[in-house]
Amino acid sequence: MTLFISQLINGLHVGSIYALIALGYTMVYGIIRLINFAHGDILMIGAYTVVIAIGSLGFSPVVAIISSIAVCVLFGVLIEKVAYKPLRNSPKISSLITAIGVSMLLQNLALLIFTPTPKPYPISLNVEPIALGSVHISFTTMLTFGVSLLVMMALQAFVLTSKAGKSMRAVSEDMDAAVLMGINVNNTITLTFAIGCALAGIGSVLYCIAYPSVSPTLGSLPGVKAFIAAVLGGIGLIPGAVLGGFLLGIAESLTKGYISSKMSDAVVYGILIVILLFKPAGLLGKSIREKV
Amino acid sequence: MKKLLLLLLMMSMVLSSIISAPAEEIIKIGGIGVLTGPTATYGLAVKNGVDLFMEELNNSGGINGKKVEMVWIDSQGDPAVGQAAYYRLLENEGVVGIIGAVLTNVTKAVAVIAAEDGMPLISASSTAYEITTDRPNVFRTCFIDPFQAVLIARYMNSKGVDNIGLLYDVGDEYSKGLYDTFVAECEKLGLNIVVTESAAFSDVDFKSQLTNLKNANPSAIFLPYYGQPAAYILKQAKEIGLDVPFYGADGISNVTDSIGDYSLLTNVVYSDHFSNDAEGELTQKFLSGYEAKYGEKPSLAFSATAYDAALVLTKALEKAESFEFDAVVKAMKETNVQGVTGNITFDEHNDPIKSAFFTTFDENGNKIFVERVDP
Repeated sequence: MTLFISQLINGLHVGSIYALIALGYTMVYGIIRLINFAHGDILMIGAYTVVIAIGSLGFSPVVAIISSIAVCVLFGVLIEKVAYKPLRNSPKISSLITAIGVSMLLQNLALLIFTPTPKPYPISLNVEPIALGSVHISFTTMLTFGVSLLVMMALQAFVLTSKAGKSMRAVSEDMDAAVLMGINVNNTITLTFAIGCALAGIGSVLYCIAYPSVSPTLGSLPGVKAFIAAVLGGIGLIPGAVLGGFLLGIAESLTKGYISSKMSDAVVYGILIVILLFKPAGLLGKSIREKV
Repeated sequence: MKKLLLLLLMMSMVLSSIISAPAEEIIKIGGIGVLTGPTATYGLAVKNGVDLFMEELNNSGGINGKKVEMVWIDSQGDPAVGQAAYYRLLENEGVVGIIGAVLTNVTKAVAVIAAEDGMPLISASSTAYEITTDRPNVFRTCFIDPFQAVLIARYMNSKGVDNIGLLYDVGDEYSKGLYDTFVAECEKLGLNIVVTESAAFSDVDFKSQLTNLKNANPSAIFLPYYGQPAAYILKQAKEIGLDVPFYGADGISNVTDSIGDYSLLTNVVYSDHFSNDAEGELTQKFLSGYEAKYGEKPSLAFSATAYDAALVLTKALEKAESFEFDAVVKAMKETNVQGVTGNITFDEHNDPIKSAFFTTFDENGNKIFVERVDP
């Protein structure tokens, strides 16, 4: 039983990181129906910002984290303005391919500037794990779990209660009607990107504290996993992203623990296929006609 | 008129070939190694060792009065890039021999095509057994995995370790190779393996496997991994409260690059090819030369094995009747020189017969020599 609980906790740790990153995917998709493949690379940019801020500029960890989130937001907004906005009225496939292009651009730029040699992440938490019987829960796990839940609830409250959140929902429902209602669509979309990338910035800190090695391809693996999590839970839905993230993390961990580590990806993709067969809109998604 | 032109053309060709002859005063040697990426420290360690040797050699007159030039190509740790590098060295640079590659999987790919040409190839760091099998032109100056895994198992046995846990990478030849021999030797010695876990290549989260390892309560864990994943594993082992000694092989020697918390390393013992604490006149000369050129002590043993690889190849070039590949290979086979890592001769499988230096770390990440184990 303790083994099962330990594996569950391992899964929750990975899952909460996936969930946090999946929130970014889901927000952007929810509002402009674009799968922002560059989202994982924003993670990488955040990680390198911390490396530079602490290593070269001598900032304190707190200032470094704040500046890394700021840089992520800046990049997110910039990417939206330069790459996605001009294509807003083009076919969806054009924006999708642009997103892949932006992702490659960022990765190769990082390869040029930082070289592929990984750098150690300068922030680490040296807090002893808490032992409950023979189950050890590390501080990193608790922190990651807590931050993810907190962020998700704050985000949900923001979208449901604030005025900006209301306009986000309006734009998501019908962009043209939102314009007629006097909503500034451009600002709303920019805000969505900013929030999504801020989440990626937070996710990057939590990811790198757990796996403290920064390289240009850092974002690809968590990016793909978080994308799957978002689709699994129902892309476009905030609770869906979180549910998908946790489900994915726990499925991975239990497969590695009880079946075989070689099977973990197979099981994860298998679950995705099965769920999409029966619920094409994801676990929490409602099947609605999409305007493509 | 046409005949005259043709004659002129032919004469000029003959002349130019005569004129270009003195340009061969420089001997080109190729170097293939991973110089960028997560395993770059290995390649750079090898490059440093070789470059140091070549500088000393050129300062003392080169090979029979001819200077040596090293042509390095980055393999990026990719077997395909390594093969492309080989062809470039062979066809464009006209090298007389190659030092490299560094990583096992790249060396294997390069050795396959080098064997077809008979190109003298010597690796300073590729420890997989089959690299030199049936390839009389391929040599190395490091010990081999089967040998290394056997020594580690014996060392653990001599320390009274029993009930061993295992974690290895199913997607990596180096890890899998060490794992296989280690298990076989444990059976021979009667050591009990209580739990075996594996991970896929490029995994970053090992907590599930480590939780299973912890659950089986082993008294030590064997970790045939390179430094970066090993750093993740050690960190995550602490997080889940797994506190046992870890044993590793030479691949773990660059773990200090990827870890911020050096206190995690005091639990680690691994087998290495060389120790900076080793005695001997040549060792001291190598260490002082290295420090003078690079401003620090060599951080990996591969600088020493690379120095020796350069020594073996250049000695063979010196003794060989010509720079034809066959002649050089023949001279390499007859090697009997005193290198930094010990006396070097090759067995019938082109492997050197050497000792292993068991090494651990202090809480500042410095390497501490524990024990020398002879074959």
